[in-house]
Amino acid sequence: MIDEFLAAGFNPLTHVVDYVWYSAGDGRFTILSNHIIMMLLAAVLLIVFMPRLVRVPKEGDEIDQLTPRGSQNVIEIICQFLRDYVAKPNLGEYTDRFVPYIWSVFFFILTCNVLGLLPLEPITKPIFGHGIYGTATGNTWVTGTLAICTLLMIVVNGLRLNGFAYVKHFFMGPFPLNILIAFLEVVGLVAKTFALALRLFINMCTGHILLAILVSFVGMAAAVGAMVGILVSVPVILGSAAITLLELFVAFLQAFIFTFLSCVFIGQAVVIHHPHKHDDSRRVLREEGETKA
Amino acid sequence: MLIDNTGISLALLICASNVNAALGAEENSVTLFSGDLFIAISTLLIFFVVVIVLGKFAWGPMLRGLQKRENFIRESLESAQRDREAAEARLAEYEKKLENAYDDASAIVDASRCEGDNVRRQIEADARDDARKMIERAKREITNARDEALGELYNRASHLVMEMAGSVLKRQLTPEDHEKLIRQALRELRKEPGSQN
Repeated sequence: MIDEFLAAGFNPLTHVVDYVWYSAGDGRFTILSNHIIMMLLAAVLLIVFMPRLVRVPKEGDEIDQLTPRGSQNVIEIICQFLRDYVAKPNLGEYTDRFVPYIWSVFFFILTCNVLGLLPLEPITKPIFGHGIYGTATGNTWVTGTLAICTLLMIVVNGLRLNGFAYVKHFFMGPFPLNILIAFLEVVGLVAKTFALALRLFINMCTGHILLAILVSFVGMAAAVGAMVGILVSVPVILGSAAITLLELFVAFLQAFIFTFLSCVFIGQAVVIHHPHKHDDSRRVLREEGETKA
Repeated sequence: MLIDNTGISLALLICASNVNAALGAEENSVTLFSGDLFIAISTLLIFFVVVIVLGKFAWGPMLRGLQKRENFIRESLESAQRDREAAEARLAEYEKKLENAYDDASAIVDASRCEGDNVRRQIEADARDDARKMIERAKREITNARDEALGELYNRASHLVMEMAGSVLKRQLTPEDHEKLIRQALRELRKEPGSQN
């Protein structure tokens, strides 16, 4: 099969990797690329439509203002789910402080993922000479930056809200074992960020590569014969439709996973468990039990 | 499942990268990890703007709305709970009052029945007494009327006797004689009570 690819000169990665429109420093610094354009498009769509979609009606009495209508229901149900079932169990009392970031991450990644599924190339290519398309979240630099944003949220808020206790919770156990544990904790923190970036990047790339490979079968079959091309195109089209639906699901799933893990990691930093408090509570419970007995 | 999915995806990516490496030609030489720090900076700027703008114009109002709705629902539920407790307490109070009212009503009915019986008895006694008095008065009046009638009868009888006796004796009796005769006749009549009938 690889020979066929090579013969056809087809590269499935062409439709996945970024296309640079403008660069500086002999192509070393990207000024404008497809992925940046898609991110800008996602940002514009979110900034223009999201405030309108969640707008609270000014007219009517208090109950009218508290009752969501139309599109507000759709956005609110997603946001409320993320707040109550994803953020609150991890962030506790800090939920409402971090939930705007959580919502922004989810909707930004989701919009980039979904925009990547749109077949924009046939529309934009005749206009601009090269297609403007692509999944921005299929770029390691993009996912890496988003993961670093979460890392900054973890570290900065861990220090801001817990101060020295945040640093101290890295050094668990007796000396000198706590030095090793602290090192492992820092490595774990970096690994979490790396995994966050890599998971999103891989999942968003593979679907597109798989689709490109599937569609390339039609071209290869057509090279053999017209009838073979037609026969191959039927399962390819059905398969592509199925994979596109799967990709749509993956787009939502990966946005959710990134958001969920961000909540978990931020929660681990800002809601630090204090062992001595647990000991106190256990002691109180034990004393209560003894009193009852 | 997520790990499996990511693992499969990674394997597929490696295959694709191998294909990419196998192509070798300059025009087709693309890498999945292409990009540079400026894409990262652009991402950071765009995402920062999204977070700030949405935070101010979308998430802020929505979060306030959600909190307001939560408070409203909590207050409504607490108010409903308080009202229910008050209603239950009031219901218990009214049930107790109703129970007492049944007892009071029974007592009132019993007292009224008792009083009614007393009044009835009193009225009967009064009526009986009145009737007895009326009968006695009637009897007394009858006796008086009879005595009066008898007196009248005696007067008329004596008058007739005197007239007849006067006509027989051809002698006119004086009033003194007349009275004397009457007294004598009455004495004789009293002496013979069985002769009155």
